[in-house]
Parts: sequence; C-alpha cells; structure tokens
Amino acid sequence: MSKYNKLPLTTLHSLLVNKEVSASQLVEDAISSMKEDPCFCFEVTCFEKARKQASKITEVKKEEFLKGIPFVCKDNFSHKGVKTTASSKILEDYVPLFDASVLQKLKKEGMILLAHTTMDELAMGGKGVSKNGITRNPYDLERIVGGSSSGSAASLALGMIPFALGSDTGDSIRLPASYTQTVGFKPTYGLISRYGLFPFAPSLDCVSYLTRNVLDASYMLSTLAFYDEKDFTCSHHKREKYQDYILQGRKKKRIGYLKEMLDNISSNTIREQFVSLLSVLEKRGYEIHSFSFGKELLENIYPCYMILSSAEALSNDATLDGIRFGPNRAKDARNYIEYMKKNRSIGFSSHIKKRFLLGSLSLDKNYRSTLFDYESKVRRLLVNRMEEFYQENDFLLMPSSFSAPEKIEDLNLNISSDRNFMNHLLTLANLGGYPSLTLPFMKEGNMPLGINITAPLYQDGYVFSLGQEIEDITKIKDCVVEVAR
Amino acid sequence: MKYTPVIGIEIHVELKTRTKMFSSAPCAFGKRANSLTLPFDLSFPGTLPLINKEAVRKGIQVCHALHMEIDPLFRFDRKNYYYPDLPKGYQITQQFHPIGKGGYVCFKVEGKEFKIELDNAHLEEDTAKQIHEGKKTYLDFNRCGIPLLEIVSKPVMHSPIEAMLYVSKIKEIVTFLEVCDGKMENGSLRCDINISLMDEKGVLGTKTEIKNLNTIENISLALQDEIARQEQILLSHGRVKEETRRYSEKEKKTILMREKKGEMDYEYFPEANLPPVKLSKSFIHKAIQESPLLVEDYLRLWSNLSLSDYQKQMLLKDIDLTKYFQSCLSLQLENPSLLCNLLISDILSYLKKKGLSFSKPNLKQEELVALCNHQSQNKLQSNQVKEILKRHYEEGKDILKEISLLQQNPSFDEEKLTSLIQEMLEENQRAIEEYRKGKEKVFSYLVGQVLKKTRGSVSPSKIQTILLKVLSKTN
Repeated sequence: MSKYNKLPLTTLHSLLVNKEVSASQLVEDAISSMKEDPCFCFEVTCFEKARKQASKITEVKKEEFLKGIPFVCKDNFSHKGVKTTASSKILEDYVPLFDASVLQKLKKEGMILLAHTTMDELAMGGKGVSKNGITRNPYDLERIVGGSSSGSAASLALGMIPFALGSDTGDSIRLPASYTQTVGFKPTYGLISRYGLFPFAPSLDCVSYLTRNVLDASYMLSTLAFYDEKDFTCSHHKREKYQDYILQGRKKKRIGYLKEMLDNISSNTIREQFVSLLSVLEKRGYEIHSFSFGKELLENIYPCYMILSSAEALSNDATLDGIRFGPNRAKDARNYIEYMKKNRSIGFSSHIKKRFLLGSLSLDKNYRSTLFDYESKVRRLLVNRMEEFYQENDFLLMPSSFSAPEKIEDLNLNISSDRNFMNHLLTLANLGGYPSLTLPFMKEGNMPLGINITAPLYQDGYVFSLGQEIEDITKIKDCVVEVAR
Repeated sequence: MKYTPVIGIEIHVELKTRTKMFSSAPCAFGKRANSLTLPFDLSFPGTLPLINKEAVRKGIQVCHALHMEIDPLFRFDRKNYYYPDLPKGYQITQQFHPIGKGGYVCFKVEGKEFKIELDNAHLEEDTAKQIHEGKKTYLDFNRCGIPLLEIVSKPVMHSPIEAMLYVSKIKEIVTFLEVCDGKMENGSLRCDINISLMDEKGVLGTKTEIKNLNTIENISLALQDEIARQEQILLSHGRVKEETRRYSEKEKKTILMREKKGEMDYEYFPEANLPPVKLSKSFIHKAIQESPLLVEDYLRLWSNLSLSDYQKQMLLKDIDLTKYFQSCLSLQLENPSLLCNLLISDILSYLKKKGLSFSKPNLKQEELVALCNHQSQNKLQSNQVKEILKRHYEEGKDILKEISLLQQNPSFDEEKLTSLIQEMLEENQRAIEEYRKGKEKVFSYLVGQVLKKTRGSVSPSKIQTILLKVLSKTN
C-alpha cells in the first residue's frame, strides 16, 4: 500500500505546497505500490519518463493544484512515444505520434503520468478482458472489476494513485466505480475534448475519470473541461469552477427515481438502503419524486446501445488494417484483401468480431430499417422521455449496480440477449449525453456498490453538490482496499 | 430497333483550398510522396475531423452558380468500405443531405440551347493515390483528404457531344469561380459517366460506368465507342452487363475494369464526429456575394464595348486573360477593341514564347492602357506600338520610357528624312555598291536601316519613296 497516493488530491496538494513531500517522493511511492499489483491493472508503465518529469519539480505553488501529482490513464489515450494499444493485439506495437488533448493539458498542469491501465479490448465490454488477461477486483480477486475502464478503477481502489483517466461509452467508468468503492464521473458530452481518445462510438464516448471523493472529481472537471478546437463536438458552453457548487453549497432540490427500478430491485438490502437514503435526503430538504418511465422503453436501452455502438465501432475500427500502423502479420498476403483480412483476423479477439458482425448486420441495407434506423429512433424516444423526466426532476437517482460483479470463472463474453433493464440504466446518460456520477454507497457482503446521480446537460456542478450531500450522509469516502498477500 | 443513349455524369471537382477538407494539412500537387499528411490523414486512432470553412464557401459558390437550393443545415455521413487508398475505412461525404439540391446548367453552342438538369452537389474528401509498380503498390496520402465537390447530373443527356459540352461548361464555371484549376490531366476535375441505351418503347437498358476520362475530347470518344458497343450487343440480342469500364486512349475504346455484382452496400450512417452545423444566412449570402464573375457576367459587362463575338470568345478562353482585360477596363481605356487585339495576338504570342501566362504577364495594365491610348489618340502609330511591345518583351525595355522617347523625337518631314537617308548611305557604302550592281535585296535592308533611325515612327512605304528619290539623284 502506498503511503501518500491513497490520499485524495486536495490533501496531496497541501502536502506538496507545504513541502512535506516532493513530487519525486510521490512518484516513487506510486511506483513501489504499482510494482506489487495483485489485480493486473497495467498494460504499460512509463516510470522513467515520470521520474524525469518529477525531478524537475522543486516547488508547488498554491494555485498549482495538480502539479507534482501522479496519475494513470486507460490504454486508449494517444500518448506520444509510449506504446498505446487499447488492450488489443491489433495495436500491439503502436506508438502514437501525438498526445491526446487531455494528456497534454494534465502535463501542462504538472500532473505526472505513470502508466496505461488495462481495459476491455478497444473499450468494448464491461468485464475487463484485455489482450493479456482479466483485471481482478481488489475487493475479491475471484471477481471482475467491471469495465471497460478496469485497470483505472482497480489501481485507484488499491490506493496506488489518486486519479485515473478513463472513458465511458455505456457505463465504462461508472460501473467499475460502483464495484470498487470509488468515485466515477462522466461529464456532459462535449465538455471534455475527445481528441486523442481512441474511438469506440463517437456519439456516446466521453472522456471520464475516477477519484477518491466527490470534491476531487469537481476540481478535476474544472481542469479537464476546456474548449478544444481539435474536437468539433467540443461544446462552446461556458466552463465553470465546478468545485464552487460544493464549496458554496449551490443546490437543486428535485430528486426523481424510476418506479420500475425500485419495483425490480431483487436485493432487500439494496432496496432498504436506497429507500432510507431517499428519506434522509427528504429530511434534508430535497423533494423526492417517483417517475414511471415505461418498462418497454427501458427494455430497449440495451438493444439500442448495442446496435448503435456496434455500428459506430465497426466503422471506427475499420482503420485498424495493419497498413499504416500496428503489427503486420500478413507478410505473405497476395493482395490487399488478404492482407487486411489476415491482420484483422489475428488482431481482434472473437468477442470483438461478434460486435463487428452485429454492427455490420445492423447497417446492412436488408436489415437497417429494423436495426440501425429503428434503434436511432429508439434513442430519440429514450432521450425524449428523459427530457420529460427532467421537467419534473433535477436529478435521476439510483443504485449504480444491483448485484455483486461476476465471478471470473462464470464469465461469458457472448453478446447478452439479457433484457433485464436493471443492468443498463446507467447507459441512459450516454444516450442523452448527460452528466452522471457514481459514488460509494454501501456494501453487500464484502462487495461495494455505488449510487448514481444523473442530471440534465450542463448541470455537472449540481451533480457534484448533490454527490457531496450524499457523501456527507453515507460518510463513505477516500476508500482504499488492501489485498492480503 | 433504334436506341437512344441516356447519359448521367458525376463530376468530381477538386477544390482549390489551402488545406484539406477535414484536416489542416496543406493541399498541393506534385510534392514529395506523403509529405503533406497529418495524423488525421493517415487515420491514427483518436484523430478527429474538422470542417474546412473555405471548402464550404466554395461549395456554396458553385451550388449558387448551378442554381441549386442550398441546405443551410450542413451535415456529413460516413460511406463505409475497405480499400487501401481509404485510411479510415470510410469516406466522410454528404449522402443524405447534400449541400446543394436540384439546379441546372444552361449553355448555348452554335445557336442551339442546352439545359441540363442536376440532381445534387455534395462535399467529400479525396482518397490516397495508389502507384502500382510491378507486383508492388505504393500509397501516397498527399491527395488523401483534399476537398472534393461532386456534382451529379440527372440522366438527361442523349449524345456524346451534349455530354462533352456539359463537362466543358462545368469546367468553365468552376474555373471562373476560381474554386478549381480544372486540369483534367492532373485529376483536379474528374468525371464518371453512366450510360445506358433506351429502346423505342422507352425501356432503359443496363447501364455501364466509364471512368478515367482525362480530357474533354475523350468523353466524346469514349461515349461514341461505348454507345456503339452496347448497340451491337443489343442488336445481336445479347445482354449488357453492369460494369465499370475505362477509356483506353491507345486502343481508342472502352475496356472492362470490373464487373459490378449488384449494388455495393456502403452502410452509410451519420458522421457523429461532425454534428450538424447551421450555416448562417449571412455566411451563405457573403459567399455568394463574393463569388468571382462567370462568363455570363463578363458578357453582360462587355455588351457595350463593341467587341466582336470572336474577340469575346478569345478573351474568355482564359480566365487570367479575362481578368487582365477586365482590370484594364477600369483604367480609362479609350479603345477596348484595340487593347483586346493586342492581347489576343502580339502579347499572347510573346507570352507563349517566354513560357509566361496572363496570371503573370510581365506587363502592367497601366502601361498597356497608356500604350493603347497613345495609339487611339494618334500619338503613336500601330507599328510603333507593336515595336514598343517587341522591345519590351525581347529587350526588357520599359514601356513608358519607350513611349516618351518616341514622343520626344520630332516628326520626320521629307527634308529631315532625306538627311537621315544621306547619313545612312554614308554609313553603308558597300551595300549601296551592291545595290547598284543589281542586288535588289539590299534595298529592303537599307529601308530597315532608316526605319531604325526613325525608331519605327515613319511608315516603311514613305521611306521607300524618298530613298528611291535620293538614290536616283545620287546616281
């Protein structure tokens, strides 16, 4: 266990300012804990680069909030000069020529990048299956940590680093956060530049991240949410000091939950805890509303997400053909078709190919009206219904997950035909581009489980202030877990 | 059975912008392979497209010139297919919402009027260039991402001539709008032609597509051959196959490139990285306002200049010549026809000789106008004007200086000429002896010598008369 990096950002910053610790000490502290990784959190490390950067930091001023603090990022951020593979064999030897905009920004702020974390191959999946293995849950090594931002969540939970970058297309930050008692935040679509984030489904992808507490998450958004002209989807909406919502107690009061959700919680403990949280919030002056969303509509979240994201993924990953970058495993190919086929056949694992098949089928002219076009309409209907929800409510509140993460031995990578909407509610935030925060909530047995707040576009600040309120109620924050050796 | 050809044409216009359609890499022709590429052009993971405003502006100008309806909500789609020249595995195009819809283009040739109806015009990006050498294929991504405007006609043309005239008209329009250099030989303007034959009952046959047409003439030649080929198949009760063909200049016929097996499914869907952009009315309006003039505009401007149709035609052959002439008009030019003639004869041939063009003719408009005005005010003779131009281009002499030099010289009356001739005769004793011995040729040499002394300001015939007089006296 690290000595320092298990602490939140705000604490580390004070230590650095007061010279109680140096950037180099923080880096060494992180490296030594990362070297004893019990969960398979990292794809690649860049310790020497980090040490060099840290050695140049002699003092940290009060206004330099992030300077000298270590972090890690998911293996799908383009990192100049460091192998970046999105945990896929197809990019096994790929060394990018440029830095993702967010990495550039954090570097400028003086943060020190130590490693790329494991993820589901090309961010497709929620189980932490990378090209080299499965990332384990620090709370139970027999279980998955969830994904696709798997190594980011596990390394943060293990106290190795105080901040981890990831991405969220369906629930890829918020689900692993739920399973690891960490804070996971997906901002409003367009607030953070995606330039340099390897795409999965650009209409849904968000640069997202994990922290130890809600206040840290709010500070990080103030840094990361800058307008970037390299990303055409980057919003022109004004950026704020998001921590001020917490520090100045700016609040909105109307909390809604989905009736169908409450009716379908199978675990009594989870239902009771959730209901009791609602009543505490009510006592603290919040209005609590039940909202019937429509079960049929909710059951369509998953097919909608799978069809649209697979179609987009098929197209985005078409560039991975071994011609311009990535390993060439088809030296004996006789023509370009053979060349591409062979590289792609070897480069992608079978569950990725299944997604591609689904994507291709959904765009095929014989099926697209019932698949891609249909699900595009479903997306609109779901978002319209969410907008109706927001007419009456400022927030959507629900547990982030309703059961413990799967055991690794039971893992099934087939595309699920599971229509249980309870497992896919977090994806509503991606379909509508909404800000969505998962924070620690409770434990069932020894497994943690988070609570999620989702709000209308650009209400990120209010999400943090409600998150802070809940954190104050549960008093679960700054959690780290030690794995017995 | 008689068949009528039915022809539709897709023209790819490479837009002359500084940078590419979706990246800030520069656009240029003939640079070292792969030197004009950014990570986006090679589709490195995480790169994102941006929209080139200048390409949109130029697109709007063309759509306006083609009388199209301009869609103010600007959107892009992905066209998905695998090919080595397509690094992303998809092309960003405007399948569902083209920037321009409908429209038409009119032209008149030898009194006959044509009106070709158009379907749409849409913006997209060019692919990389493949270079085949033996068994190897090399890829040059310099071209990859260059903005293209694809102009799609309706299948409304019925003869090779009509098709050829249509393409030349489009070429003229995009060249005059200065959105494209129109060089088919460099591929900056390319056309794909769809052709099928319709029988007397109005039933359309299977269409073929002809690619790789790199001159206007080849369009007509390729179509003539393809019509004959299809006709022959149909007349012998064969079946025309749906295929892509190319025109071979060497064999003067169309050749099979590949057979089309049903329609390709490009699995189009909206480009999420470029959400719809609402083009403001003022942006569209400004683009149109700032459109360079078209041929029709110049004809209107020149309608009172008393230029002949031939003169106008010659001027309009070259956009740079047109613009040069037009800018002379604003300089108090007295006789446009005179200036036009100098441009399309003397000056054009000097430029050709020197390898120059009217974009850089090495001749200031002010100087040329001054020269012409001197002639129209009878201060200079036509042959003096020509002489000055000659000295300018051949000896690098300054035009205004030459004019003033000539004007300082007093006019030559008979007395002056006689003394000049005598001066000349003293300098050319040997030539005179030869002349006297009967060498008639020497006479014109002598005339030339006098002409030189007068700096071309006296007509040769006048010199001849006096020279004869002097020679007979001294005999």
